[in-house]
Order: sequence, then structure tokens, then C-alpha cells
Amino acid sequence: MIALERLSSRAGTFELRDVSVVLPKGAWGIVLGPAGSGKTTLLETIAGVRDASGGRVLLRGADATALPPECRHIGMVYQHGYLFPHLTVEQNISYGAADVRAAREMATRLGADAFAGRAVTSLSGGERQIVALARALAPNPDILLLDEPFAALDPRRRVRVRSELRRLQRERGTTVLHVTHDFVEAGTLGDLAMVLDNGRLSQVGTPEAVFRKPASGAVADFIGADNVYSGTIVRSGVIEAPEMGTLSFSGNGLELAGVGDHPGGAGHAVIRGEDVVLARRQPNPSSVRNVLHGRIVEVAPDGVLARVAIAIGSTTLVAIITQASATELGLAQGESVVASVKATAVHLC
Amino acid sequence: MSVRPAHRIATIGVVSGAVLLIALLALPVGALVIRGGVDGLRQLGSDIELRRSLTLTAFTATTATLVTILLGTPLAYLLARDRLPGGSFIDALVELPLLIPHPVAGIALLLAFGRASPAGAALARIGLGIVGSPVGIGLAMLFVAAPLYVSAARESIGRVDRRYEDVARTLGDSHWRAVRRVTLPLAGRGLFAAAVVMWARAVSEFGAIVILTYNPKVASVLSYDRFTAFGLDAALPVAAVLVLLALVPLLVLRSLRANTRSIEQLT
Repeated sequence: MIALERLSSRAGTFELRDVSVVLPKGAWGIVLGPAGSGKTTLLETIAGVRDASGGRVLLRGADATALPPECRHIGMVYQHGYLFPHLTVEQNISYGAADVRAAREMATRLGADAFAGRAVTSLSGGERQIVALARALAPNPDILLLDEPFAALDPRRRVRVRSELRRLQRERGTTVLHVTHDFVEAGTLGDLAMVLDNGRLSQVGTPEAVFRKPASGAVADFIGADNVYSGTIVRSGVIEAPEMGTLSFSGNGLELAGVGDHPGGAGHAVIRGEDVVLARRQPNPSSVRNVLHGRIVEVAPDGVLARVAIAIGSTTLVAIITQASATELGLAQGESVVASVKATAVHLC
Repeated sequence: MSVRPAHRIATIGVVSGAVLLIALLALPVGALVIRGGVDGLRQLGSDIELRRSLTLTAFTATTATLVTILLGTPLAYLLARDRLPGGSFIDALVELPLLIPHPVAGIALLLAFGRASPAGAALARIGLGIVGSPVGIGLAMLFVAAPLYVSAARESIGRVDRRYEDVARTLGDSHWRAVRRVTLPLAGRGLFAAAVVMWARAVSEFGAIVILTYNPKVASVLSYDRFTAFGLDAALPVAAVLVLLALVPLLVLRSLRANTRSIEQLT
């Protein structure tokens, strides 16, 4: 288990501030955030190679804030691996292992045995990352910190190493905290996701919740939400639970109806491209609350999908539909189109 | 159109300047080796005083270098990793002997470690008097050349990314064990080069040594002694041998640099 209580840490002029989160034993936590948001600083502070300037780090339920890194029993993998260049691959993997057998077993499981006899300097970036992973796992740590460990792996190897690591983590009940920029990876592996922005934790939740309901415009922007608009939110009533209300949003030349727990005031409207329904004519009376008329600016094919950009007044709405639908509807640049979005698909934050 | 002649004049100026400086550096050394080199090498076989003096020089310079490696490497590490309070002051203090005229350095050493000083008296009691002894020669060499080692070693350690140490610590090493197993081996070539530079500087020291210990004579003092007592022709062979000796560390350094460059390209 990793528990952080108002953890702060300094790295030059940058400051990580008041990070509080609990990652249960055996859980896989994902750390997301733009470059320079403090993700590596967070991992280094948990590992103990960087001092905390405030707050506490609790590992396995005990306060580890003042413990040196060698007493924390944590495995750490940096993006660049930091393999020791004066040692061979095998020596690197055995560096912290209890015995050579444990190191060899780990090398075999992750596929590092294929280049065990080689000099570190002759390895590719992906091979280095595999060796770095094997080296961190060989001492059998029950907490593993990963800083973009798969970034340099080719797609085939990435899938293989990722699933082997997942298997190992489940077998051993390892608690993992994993920094990644890959949203697919975050969704596949993560039990819990946290978003860091400028040294502060801006959202914690399941990856699904973070991607579907970003807590702020900044988070929505970072996760690459297709449509993010700034404006004013007005609360207009109460439905079902007291905290849920019907809301209206106006901004960027759009008037949208939504539901949610926003208290009202300045905010953002976030719409996933997949939640936008397109038609050539105004749909018959339906339950859809938001019907927007616009003109197609671009139809960009993306595999079996198509990304359709529609100009609505002075703003743009992006819809993600299948290629088949785009062809059937005869969607093309300059054509007029009607976009429908259910109020429940408009996330206001 | 007017660029070409201006460019040509600038090229001629740059090349002429470079050639002039090379001539200024190479001519005296070349003249010394040509006039005294063969005689010097021949005298190595017959001149016992020259052989003794060279042995003494090599022995004291090596001892001073080994002592500096032992004491200076930890200091260089602490300076490189900003682990000393008042690090920049200590940095300046360590480099100060490089800026002091070397006879002045000899006088300072005499004041601090001569028989009249408490430290000197204590040293003399255990048979380590610094005046007229190899101990004094080694101390003078250490004083003037150790800053070169510490400075270069600090640079070399500073170039090793501290994350290597951090990774070693997450793998179970204590701080100093990580330094010994990872940082020092990675800085090894730089540390060796720093030791070679220090050794070469120690071998060529004259000013500080001559204040503390005229006898027994190191090679530089012997060369000066023969020049003042017997004239230029007598000093030439000793001086030429010293120049030829200086080529050894120079060649070692050049080959180290070439190897380091090829390793850096690989990593």
C-alpha cells in the first residue's frame, strides 16, 4: 500500500504540493499529467531519492518519510533505464537480486535473457527498458514505481512485456504506481488514475471516470477530449438526487443543456466525439436536448472511424462516427448537418 | 563582391596567429630536445646523480598523487554533489594554491610545517621533518598539484548523472556503497586522467620545492643547479630528459581522451 498525506517536495524551482492519495495493496495506479507537472518528482519522493519538504509517505501502513531509499524496498524504473554502463546486462539484472537464479528467472520472464551477455552500450532503447524492468523486479519488491517504462518498446514487444508485467504483479500482489502518457495503457492497466497539473493533484478516480468526467477544463484538455468549451454554467433545477441538477451552459457561441453536480458559475462543457449523433435533417421530436445546426469543415478518416469537424456559429464541434455512417450520410466538406447530443453526454465541470 | 578579399584577409590573420603561437610553444621545447635529448638519454646510463634525482622525483610525485587520490576523491565527490555547506568557498580555497606564486607556496608551507611550527615539530618528532627531506618534496608537490586533481575529479564525478546512484539505492545499496559501486567506476577514466595531470604537474614543480628542500635534488632542482654551477651545456641533458618524461603523461592523456570519446558515442 502507498498512502501520501499532503506530500510536498521541491525540485529546483518546481514544487510538488499537498498530494494526498491512497493506493491499496496490489492496486495499479496510473499517474497522468502534462510534461513538467511533477510526475517523476512524485515517484522520486516516494522512492526516497528526493526528500519530502512536507507531508508524509506511508508504505505498507508505516511512515517511511524519513527512511533512506535502500530501506523502503521499492523497485523503480526510469524512462531512460539508467542501466549501469560499466556492467553487463546480466550484472545489471543481478545488481539488487538476492541470488543469480532470481535474476536469471526474471530475465527469462521478461525476455531479457536473449541479450544477457551483451554490453549495455549495444542495446536499443527498448531492450534497455526491458533490462531496467528486470533489474527492478529481480529483488522481488512489493512496491514498484514505473516512469514511462514502455515508451521505447515497439508495439509487439510492448504488448508482450506489459501483459507479463501484469501477470507478475497479480502473482506477487505488487502495488504499482505507473507514470504514462499512453491513455490506452492507462485504461487497460489502471485500477486508479490520478492527474497531476503543475505540481498539484487535480483529479483522482478510476481511469474511466477521469476520461469520461474530467474534473476541470485543464484535465479535459490534457486527456485530449474532443470538445472542450469555456463559459458560464447556470443551475436550473433538481432531479433525482439532491446533488444532481439540470444545468445550462453558454459559452463559445453555444447553448447546451446538461445534468450534473456543478454548483454554477464559470466552467467548462466537455463532449466526447463518440457521443455526438449526426443527421442530414432535423430529427423527429426526440428526447435529445441539444440539437445543433452546422456545416462540415472536414471529414478526416481514422481507420474504421471518421472524425467530422462541424462549424457551429463561431465554434467547432467534433463528432466521431464510423466510416460507413459517413459514407451512408454522404458527409463531405461544406455540407450542412445536424448534430445531436444528449444532456447526459454533456459533462459540465 | 568585397566579401571575398575580406574573408581571405581574415583567414590569413587567423592562420598566421595560430602558426605564431604554435612556433612560440614548440620552438623552445624542440630546441631543448634537439640540443640535449640524445646526450640526456646517454647520461641516464652513466650519471648516477641524474638517475637518483629522477627516481626521487617519480617516487615523491607518485606518493603525493596517491595521497591526493585518497583524500581528494571524497572531497571532489562532496563538491560535485553540492553536499558541503559553503561549497563555493571551499571550492575557491582548494583552487587558491594554483594562483599563488610557487616560491610563496614554499614559504607558506615552511611557516605551517617547518620545525618552528607546532605541526612541523610534531612531524619532526615522528621522523617526518619537511625541510631537506623527501617528505617536504612530496608536501610541496601535493600543495601545488592537488588542486588540479580535485578540480578535474569534481568535474568528472559531476558528469555522472546522480540517478545512477539513485537507482543503485533503490536496489538496496547504501549511499556510499552506491558511490563505490556505480559513481566511481563511471567517473574512473576522468579520475585517472586527473591523477595523470596532477602527477605531471608534481614532476615539473620547482619553486615550492626549492624553498623547502634543495637537497636531495629532484630533477627540476638538479637542472637548475647544473645551470647555475656549470652553465647551459651541463643543464641541457637533464632539462631534455625532463621534457621527454613529460611526453609520457601527455600521450597517456591523449589516448584516454580518444577512448572516452568513443565510449561517449556508444552511450
